[in-house]
Amino acid sequence: MKSLTGGLAAKSGLIAGGAASSSDVLLDVREIGISFGGLKAVQKFSLRLPRAGLYGLIGPNGAGKTTVFNLLTGVYQPDSGEIQLGSQRLGQGKPHEITAAGIARTFQNIRLFPSLSVLDNVRLAGQLHNRHGLLSTVIRTRGYRCEEELLRQRSLELLQIFELQDRADELASNLSYGHQRKLEIIRALATNPKVLLLDEPAAGLNPQEKLALAESIRQIRDRFQVAVLLIEHDMPLVMKICERITVLEYGITISEGTPAEVQNDPRVIAAYLGAGLEDA
Amino acid sequence: MARGTSSVGSDAAAAVKPEAAEVAVKGNGWTGLIPIAIGILIALVLHFALPAPQRSYNTQILQIIGIVIVLAVSLNIVNGMTGQFSIGHAGFMAVGGYTAASITYYGSMLLWGSTTKHGGFLGSGDWLFLGSCLAGGLVAAIAGYVVGLPSLRLRGDYLAIVTLGFGEIIRVVLQQTGPLIEDVKALQSVGLKQLVPPPLGGSLGLSGIPKYTNLFWVYSILTITLVVAYRLKSSSAGRSMISVREDELAAQAMGVNIARQKVTAFVVAAFFAGVAGGLFAHSTGTVSPKDAGFQQSFDYVIMTVLGGRGSISGVTLAAIFLTVLPELLRDFEQYRLIVYALLLIIMMLVRPQGLLGIHEVWEMFNRRRRKAEVSGSDVSPAEVGP
Repeated sequence: MKSLTGGLAAKSGLIAGGAASSSDVLLDVREIGISFGGLKAVQKFSLRLPRAGLYGLIGPNGAGKTTVFNLLTGVYQPDSGEIQLGSQRLGQGKPHEITAAGIARTFQNIRLFPSLSVLDNVRLAGQLHNRHGLLSTVIRTRGYRCEEELLRQRSLELLQIFELQDRADELASNLSYGHQRKLEIIRALATNPKVLLLDEPAAGLNPQEKLALAESIRQIRDRFQVAVLLIEHDMPLVMKICERITVLEYGITISEGTPAEVQNDPRVIAAYLGAGLEDA
Repeated sequence: MARGTSSVGSDAAAAVKPEAAEVAVKGNGWTGLIPIAIGILIALVLHFALPAPQRSYNTQILQIIGIVIVLAVSLNIVNGMTGQFSIGHAGFMAVGGYTAASITYYGSMLLWGSTTKHGGFLGSGDWLFLGSCLAGGLVAAIAGYVVGLPSLRLRGDYLAIVTLGFGEIIRVVLQQTGPLIEDVKALQSVGLKQLVPPPLGGSLGLSGIPKYTNLFWVYSILTITLVVAYRLKSSSAGRSMISVREDELAAQAMGVNIARQKVTAFVVAAFFAGVAGGLFAHSTGTVSPKDAGFQQSFDYVIMTVLGGRGSISGVTLAAIFLTVLPELLRDFEQYRLIVYALLLIIMMLVRPQGLLGIHEVWEMFNRRRRKAEVSGSDVSPAEVGP
C-alpha cells in the first residue's frame, strides 16, 4: 500500500508538471462533425483536453453538446475528423471499446440499471477488464472467485469514498434523485477512465447539492487524476470550476477560452440573450 | 475518511486502483463442483428409491417436469435475463431431440443390430444416449448462434417474429425428411437416394427411439442446468446480460459488449434446450415435427413470464405448476383449457411482474425479515428523513 501511494504521488507530480506545457494533450479531438440527413448537428468541433484538465462545454438547448458526447463515446460515428486518446486513435470504435480505452460518461437523463442493486451497478462497470470467461464462471474456478471478490471489494471501496456504502444492497431505482446522480458518476469512475464526460450532472439538484457537486467534481479530478469534460447549464457552476470553456451554437463552436474570456465574448452573449434590440 | 462538505475521501485513488490481486477466498479448485455432485446424488436416490416400474404414470410425470424445467430455465436466460424476446425455444428443442434421437436410433442399429435398449444402468447404451444428448445440445447451440445473430439488429416484436419463424422453418423442414429406415438390413444396403433427404420420418416423426431417459439422467441434467443458470446470473457475465435487458445504451457505455452478450445468451439457452430435447425424445420414444411448433414454444414463454423475468426459482415453480396443473385437471377434460387460461389472466392481473418478480425465493424471505427489523423500534433517523 505504501509503495502504491508513493507511486501515485510520483505519478501526480509528473502530471502536474506536464499540465503546464500545452503539448501534453490527453484527448485530442480534431474537427469532428456529423450530420443527420440535411441537418449538420455538429461541425468542425475541436478540443484539446490535457491530463487532469477540467473543461466545460456549454451552449443553448439543441446546440449539439450531447451529440459531441455521443461522438466521443462511439454512440455515433463521426462523418469527418479524428479523435485521439493519448497515443490511441479512437475514430470508428464501438462504444464498449471506447469505454475500455478510457472514456467514461454519465447521461443527461439518468440511465442506471434500475433493477440491479447499487453495488451491482458499480460492479458491472468495474468488471470491464475481467479476464475470466463463461466456462470458469460456470465451474467457479478459484481464479474466477478471486477476481469476483476483488471486484466486490473495489466496488465497495468506491461506494465508501462517496458515502453510499450503506445503500449498497438497495435497488438503484430506490435511491433518491441526488443519490442516483451520484451513483452515475461512481459507476463511470468504476470503469477506471482517463477521461470522464459529465452530461449535466447538476440538473435537478438544489443549491446546496450543486455546491457539493462542484466540490466533488474538482476532487474527483484531483484524486482519480481524470480529465473531466462537463456539459452544464448552470453558469455559476461552470464558470467557477472549469479551466477552459467551449461554447456551441447550432453545432458550431462560437467561442473558446477561459471563463472570463467566454463570459465577455459578444457572440456568446448574443447566443444566450439574443442578438440585440436592432434585430427585434 | 473525511466527512462533511467534501464527499470524496483522501485515499480515493489508492483504494480504486490496487495493483496486486490479494484476496482471500474459501475453498480450492474443486469447491465449485460440490453443488453439482449433491444434485447428481439426489438424482441417484430418486432413481433407485422410487418403485421399480419406471414407466409408471408418476415417474413419467416426474421426468416431464424435470425436462420442462430445463427448457423453461434455459429460455429464461434469453427472455428473462438478457431481455430478448424469443418464441422459438421449441425449435431448438426439436433440433436437439432429432439429432440425439437419430444418433441413438441408427447408432444402436449399427452397433447392436436393434433399436431396443442396450446395457443396464450406466451400461454402453446409456453412454451412447448421453453422448447423443450432448451432440443434440451442440447442434442446437449452433442453431442458437445463427438465430442469435439477427438479435444484434432487431429488437422486441421484430426479434420475436424471427425466432417464431425459426421454429416454423424447423417444423416444415422436418416434415420434408424421408421415411425412417426400420431394420438393420435395409440400413446396411442403404443408397444415397434414401439418405437425401435424411431419413427422419417425415411428417410422421421419428418413432421407436430406445427409451433411455430415466429420473437419474433427467435430474442430473436439471441440476447442471440450474447450477449453470444461477452461477451465470450471480456473476459478471450475468450482470452484463441483465444490463443489456435494462438499458442497452448505458450497458455499452459501461463497456459491455452487448452483441456478445446477446449471442452468448442464445447459444447457452439453445444448448440446454437441445439437451432437453434429447431427454424428451428418449422419454416418450418419439419426436415429431409438431414438437418444433410455436404452441410448444409458447408454453415455455408463459412459464418464464409467470415465474418472473430472470428469477430462476420463480420459473422453476411456474414450470412445475403449469406441468402438474393440466394433469390434475384431466378429470374436467372439456374445461381444462378454460381453467388454464383463466388462471393465467388472473395471474397477470394480480401479479403482472410474475410470481417472484426479479427475485429468487430465498431473497423474498430475506426481504421480509429485513422489513420486519426496520419496522421495529430501532429506526435510524436517516431512514425517516424527508
